[in-house]
Amino acid sequence: MLALLLVLLAAVLAGVAPRLMARLVSFRRAPRAALVAWQAVSLAAVLAALSAAPAALSYLTELQTGRWVVLGLAAAVTLLVLGRLLLSGHRIGTRLRAARTRHRELVDVLATPEPVTQGERRADGIRVLDHATPTAYCLPGRRSRVVLTQGALAALPSDQLDAVLAHERAHLRGRHDLLIEYFTVLHHSVPGPVRSPEALREVRLLVEALADRAAVRASSPLATARALMALAQGQAPLATLGAGGDGTTAARMRLLAADPMPPVVVAGMYAYAGAVLVLPLALLWLAWR
Amino acid sequence: MPHTSSAPRLGDLERTLMEQLWDSAAHRPDGASVREVLEALPAERGLAYTTVMTVLDRLSKKGLVTRERDGRAWRYTPAGTRESLTAETMRATLDDASDRRATLLHFLDGATPEELDDLRAALSEVEQRRG
Ligand SMILES: [Zn+2]
Repeated sequence: MLALLLVLLAAVLAGVAPRLMARLVSFRRAPRAALVAWQAVSLAAVLAALSAAPAALSYLTELQTGRWVVLGLAAAVTLLVLGRLLLSGHRIGTRLRAARTRHRELVDVLATPEPVTQGERRADGIRVLDHATPTAYCLPGRRSRVVLTQGALAALPSDQLDAVLAHERAHLRGRHDLLIEYFTVLHHSVPGPVRSPEALREVRLLVEALADRAAVRASSPLATARALMALAQGQAPLATLGAGGDGTTAARMRLLAADPMPPVVVAGMYAYAGAVLVLPLALLWLAWR
Repeated sequence: MPHTSSAPRLGDLERTLMEQLWDSAAHRPDGASVREVLEALPAERGLAYTTVMTVLDRLSKKGLVTRERDGRAWRYTPAGTRESLTAETMRATLDDASDRRATLLHFLDGATPEELDDLRAALSEVEQRRG
């Protein structure tokens, strides 16, 4: 029965929990703790699915028809999830790295490495693309790059530029690309009927909110908000073909106005993450006791 | 690719040679040979023939230049104009296609014209509370 419970737990953690958690928008005020909670839930879902077959193996000692059915079901779930994880992990990883390599090669011949003044210091290693549309981004990975366009340099006064650069550096330093890659792989590994788009969307927003906090530390909430506004205005004419429209930017802007989360709530979020992670391990332990 | 001190210099060389090819594309539509590229570079760069050849070879492996046999030598042509390759780069950063959102990490994850009013309202909230 514990094997079935693990299958059920995996389905709840992958399909129900994300929908509920995504509604608790005020937890975005503590993006780091929220990201830990999201990782705990997703990891617990994977652990539960992968533990189903091992938990059912203890049934092999007593062979009855009903138990064979449970064993078969548990094994199917575990193998399905494992197979899909490996497959989409490989596929997405390969595709991302190829796209990044191509992009880096283009940037390296097109963009000039320009020393940009950041605060008192000169920030080296920033590439400037000769294009009027204001945009700023980073290429993650071992040979990372921070890229700005001439349009962005023209649109941003120095305190807003500080905010943008600190935001991008926070992405690179925190290896946020790995976090997003992990959730993208998970998203594609979860079988369709239980898959929820909320997790990936929310994690993307939280990663941005986390990088925004670095931007605020390097400048101010207002400079960060104004930089968002400036780039949004510059990109809006082109955005009809592209991203946007999901309200992410306005949500980030409102987080810049919000008060920080009380420490006791943050502690509760970490406790929740820990408890969720213990759940599948405890069930597996019980099955083998 | 190991992290050596020559790695950034190699990147600089690649950009210099691409710029050289772009600049000369107007009067040399059939591309340039290693010799021609070398001769067009300022003498104070002091680059060896083999260095230029190696860098052009790397650029062609990356698909940034195409090369064609001309007798015993190769002629190198940029795979696209500076403008078209810049446009390709910008498309990759602004399109919502496929994995754009996981490939690069942006400061702004796109905004539509319809969103701007909402953004302005949110900005004035920040101005009131944090200004
Ligand atoms: Zn970002």
